[in-house]
Amino acid sequence: MLLSFDRLGGWKWILLGITGLTAAFLILPIVFIAALSFGSSQWLIFPPPAWTLKWYEAFFADPRWLEAAWTSFSIAAMVTVLSVLIGLVASFGLVRGSFIGKEGLRALFLTPMILPVVVLAVALYAFFLRIGLNGTVTGFVIAHLVVALPFSILSITNALEGFDKSIEDAAVLCGASPLEAKLRITLPSISHGLFSAAVFSFLTSWDEVVLAIFMASPTLQTLPVKIWATLRQDLTPVIAAASTLLIVITIALMLLVALLRKGLKS
Amino acid sequence: MALLTERDNTTAMGKIRPVRSKNFALTVPALLLLVVFFILPVLSLLLRSVMEPEPGLGNYQALLGSTTYLKIFLNTFSVSALVTVVTLAIGFPVAWALAIMPSRWASIVFAILLLSMWTNLLTRTYAWMVLLQRTGVINKTLMGLGLISEPLPLVNNLVGVTIGMTYIMLPFIILPLYGVIRKIDPAILQAAALCGATRWQALTRVLIPLATPGMVSGALMVFVMSLGYFVTPALLGGTANMMLAELVAQFVQSLVNWGMGGAAALVLLVVTLTLYAIQLKLFGTARMEGR
Repeated sequence: MLLSFDRLGGWKWILLGITGLTAAFLILPIVFIAALSFGSSQWLIFPPPAWTLKWYEAFFADPRWLEAAWTSFSIAAMVTVLSVLIGLVASFGLVRGSFIGKEGLRALFLTPMILPVVVLAVALYAFFLRIGLNGTVTGFVIAHLVVALPFSILSITNALEGFDKSIEDAAVLCGASPLEAKLRITLPSISHGLFSAAVFSFLTSWDEVVLAIFMASPTLQTLPVKIWATLRQDLTPVIAAASTLLIVITIALMLLVALLRKGLKS
Repeated sequence: MALLTERDNTTAMGKIRPVRSKNFALTVPALLLLVVFFILPVLSLLLRSVMEPEPGLGNYQALLGSTTYLKIFLNTFSVSALVTVVTLAIGFPVAWALAIMPSRWASIVFAILLLSMWTNLLTRTYAWMVLLQRTGVINKTLMGLGLISEPLPLVNNLVGVTIGMTYIMLPFIILPLYGVIRKIDPAILQAAALCGATRWQALTRVLIPLATPGMVSGALMVFVMSLGYFVTPALLGGTANMMLAELVAQFVQSLVNWGMGGAAALVLLVVTLTLYAIQLKLFGTARMEGR
């Protein structure tokens, strides 16, 4: 009865109430920021005295914001490509291979996910100081790749374990070369895993703040670093405008994923 | 669920497939990346904690012997514990409701959960800084309702950190718990009812015990993630309740004290990895999807 919605009686309303409040708690900050980004009040007073687009104008008029956004995008794109490629190869090794210490290796590959990012950031910062990679795109890409790779390996090993290898073997028996069978049979079958690996890798890099704060230099910063640096000075509504743009991108990505999932199912 | 069928597959195939250890080579690029840019730098940082400014355990004595730093450790643990308890208290009923409510409503809640999870971390923290400030919406509303006459200090203190962190951690407890409750067979609860259990007994003696593994696993995950959080405590917390991750960053960035930074990092690392090992031992899987 506790697991049947219709037979919960009065408890049903308590559960629904808590769920509704929680959903409101989760969505309201996002809605407020979007609304305030169109408000005229410098102090982000709600409800705003008037509506305006001036914060968006300020965002697009400042080349540093656009530069930071472009830096973020290009780093995230590079991280995505590398993370999916390295992750794909490693996943084949982990799923199809049999060697001593395989499970240990799998656990090791996932460690960057659970390690506090600040520890990695400080450690890499020290290392990059010595080899001169701080404040370079290469430094950013490497740092973000370390934290993005686990997501790739996780998604792709999952997909690969769900793929029946006998189909690939059948293609080889029918005369395909092992590589051809992998490219034309296996890869298309695990494309959903590759896709989620790509999305997670992109978002990991695109949203990453802590590593980026350490890797950044005055001339090279990502969007989150720019937001962070601006936030430390004041709460200017320009950040609300930048945030709203980020939220729009997030929603677009979510819709894309949902659409592709639907496409894959049908 | 898919995992089960896959595992059957591999074992069935494993018998006829010859052992090939050469596939190890495929994992080498990833392994190399992690060794050079993850393991070695972290080890070298930890090494500096016993080598700088002079060899010995001086940094650890300074770190563990000072009340200032002990206060930071204590604060880190209590904030993380508080956040864990609050997320669990909210997350359990929500996960329960999601598991049984009509799927049309549930999918709306799921969309909200995913949207909040996928929204940029700084954006979410910024939103709370704006909402919680003295002239923010929350203070304005409470004053408008006549509940308070002076604005409450909601930011740069424990309240701000707890709200901000709870906001971030909620999806991480709701989603796994939903999976656990979803798998519980409703017939078990019907059986409890047939045997004369009241609602309350069915909840405390059947549903909660069955969901406990999920709650413990989710709580551990939230606790570990909270321990190492940097951005949200730095922006929503005050100087009076600094957390361990901020301390590590401060040693390195403002004080350029690598020895102490390394020592603080080791403390954070040991605690995190110990709890992670417990999680692995108890549940066998790591579902840490944090950032």
